Amino acid sequence: MNVPMLPVQIVGLKADLHLVLHVLRRAACVHIDELAETPEIAARPLALDRETLRQQEQLGVLVARIDGLLKTLGDRTSTEPSAGDGACLDAAREGVEELLPEVQALVSRRDSLQAELLSLPRYESTLRKLLPIIPASAHRPENMTVGALVSRAHVGILDLIGRRVVDLTAGRAEVIASDVDAATRAMLIVFPAEFAADIEGVLGREDVSRLRLPAQLGEGPPDIMLEKLQRRMSDISHELSRIETALGELAGAWSGRLARWRTILSDEIEANSILSSFGETDTTFVLAGWVPETEYQRVRDMLTDEVGETLYIEPLRMTPERRERAPVQLKNPAPARPFESLVSLLTLPRYGHIDPTRLMAFFMPVFFGMILGDVGYGALLIVLSLFLRRKLRKGVARDVVVVLAMGAGWAIVFGFLFGELFGTLGEEIGLHPLWFDRASAEHVSALLIMSLVVGAVHITLGLILGLFEALRDRSRSHLLERGGMLLGLVSLFFIVAVAVDYLPRGLMSPAIAGLIVGIVLLGSSLGWLGVIMGPIEFIGLVGNVLSYLRIAAIGLASVYLAKVANDVAGAVGTLIVGVIIAVLIHALNLVLAAFSPTIHSLRLHYVEFFRKFYEGGGRPYRPFRSTIE
Amino acid sequence: MEVVDSGIGPGLIAIGAGLAVGLAAIGTGLAQARIGSAGAGVIAEKPEALGPIILLVAIPETMVILGFAVAAMVLLLGG
Repeated sequence: MNVPMLPVQIVGLKADLHLVLHVLRRAACVHIDELAETPEIAARPLALDRETLRQQEQLGVLVARIDGLLKTLGDRTSTEPSAGDGACLDAAREGVEELLPEVQALVSRRDSLQAELLSLPRYESTLRKLLPIIPASAHRPENMTVGALVSRAHVGILDLIGRRVVDLTAGRAEVIASDVDAATRAMLIVFPAEFAADIEGVLGREDVSRLRLPAQLGEGPPDIMLEKLQRRMSDISHELSRIETALGELAGAWSGRLARWRTILSDEIEANSILSSFGETDTTFVLAGWVPETEYQRVRDMLTDEVGETLYIEPLRMTPERRERAPVQLKNPAPARPFESLVSLLTLPRYGHIDPTRLMAFFMPVFFGMILGDVGYGALLIVLSLFLRRKLRKGVARDVVVVLAMGAGWAIVFGFLFGELFGTLGEEIGLHPLWFDRASAEHVSALLIMSLVVGAVHITLGLILGLFEALRDRSRSHLLERGGMLLGLVSLFFIVAVAVDYLPRGLMSPAIAGLIVGIVLLGSSLGWLGVIMGPIEFIGLVGNVLSYLRIAAIGLASVYLAKVANDVAGAVGTLIVGVIIAVLIHALNLVLAAFSPTIHSLRLHYVEFFRKFYEGGGRPYRPFRSTIE
Repeated sequence: MEVVDSGIGPGLIAIGAGLAVGLAAIGTGLAQARIGSAGAGVIAEKPEALGPIILLVAIPETMVILGFAVAAMVLLLGG
């Protein structure tokens, strides 16, 4: 049901503004409207003072920094005790100033080491290619070694360089070249150190890039450089793990506190943001909002006690315009509450109109059970959903899991009625249907009729509710439309009942008359187009009832898939292979059994049932309160 | 002259029922493919539209259910 709401207006002195804000936040039940949404209040929008704006900016920067730190250190649920707002702001500022440079230094060092570690393996593979051609002279202290790798297509350049180097050093250099793979030729030049600049010049002129290693590794022959390189890579790994340990220790010491600060500061930012919804005169502020009727006296008492007589709070008259804007809070008994998420998934009901949650809480699990109708699958789904329920916190997913468990309960009930346990396996172990075996050819008609009867009842109930809504809203067009549909549909039921000899033949004429009157009423609600649209709409209504045949169709598909699993298991020669195949097909069927009945039951509600009466588009009730638990 | 039942009748009934469901299923599939792909795009931009999108995707399923109803009638009344 919709919780009754009271529109209220609060007027006070600007000097009390922050105190009022504090009290309203603690009251946690006042939904504050934007000033622009309440044109009947003649006040200009409240302009935030310089101090509040400055504080908002500071808080925003601080929260952004805390977010950055938490991203690096890892977010975690806070177990820290709460501090007062002012104390929290100071503590957060000091804490962030202390922590930020340390974390930034560690992260910066980690990033540069990771980049270096990524680049070093490339040098390692190149150096390994040069290892086989290192001459003994490369290890003499007075010599330098330069390596180069050239594509074999340009091998002539290497010969040219070799000749020039030997000429330049008067034969004191040693040049070794060798193919290292199918595409590359490597060259090592070992020469006295005093020729370093000249050799660089020769290589530069021929546009050959010498192999350059990171400066911190120094110079030397390839085998020595390879050793240094491997040592460096190992050092980097050790340093990275030391940095990770340091960050982990910081996370352990700070993450909880940071998360707590962020929650408190974000809450503070949000509290200040609500001020933009207020109005002001030179000395007063004004706000308009909504309070649940049952909470009004409590809010009034709190404000009067803490702010005093200078505050004025009054309930406003509920005009039709205000009723249109009223926020919606659904209130249902605990078993029906998970279905609120499913109703809201479409759209919230408008204030003062029917909340279909309880109806959905009854019909949806029953439809699910009728579609699935299997003791085995139902039991497995209950176990699965109870397991998932423990894993999930609050939210739509958890609500869907609870709905699934309820549906699975009804699936067990219908499983006994249809005599099904993993399809036809129940029959093998002596489980007989208490009602009828829906999989047998002679009972298919009964199954179809059952589905249609369920559809007829559901749609008729929807139309009765729609009629009630139309009467309450005094909507002539809705009254004609839904009344016409209801009359036509009930008349059609009579016609069918007479046709199959359930009712006496004498009722046929009044039933046909009722059908015609119903279609005429339906058409008249649509204006002159109703001449064509009336009959079409009525055919659509019959289609809505036929749509409930999906209960039979999807149920049969599930039974036959289970039967296939059991038959295949029996047909395969080997027992183990047969069992494995059967388990796999049953597992597939179980997954389909979790999704398909849920989606189709949901659709039967959204499309067939709700359209007959549901007035959606309600605004959610969002009371102004602290987000800190 | 003796009339021999060729046995083609039950086969034709079965084919008719199969066509009723199969063609309706193809129609539903084509419609759902278009709505589904557009709907996935909408949900990516606006996750709160999940409810209406489920509704839109589910609407063409009526076709295959009506196909099933026709097939059931063909089998039950014609067989």
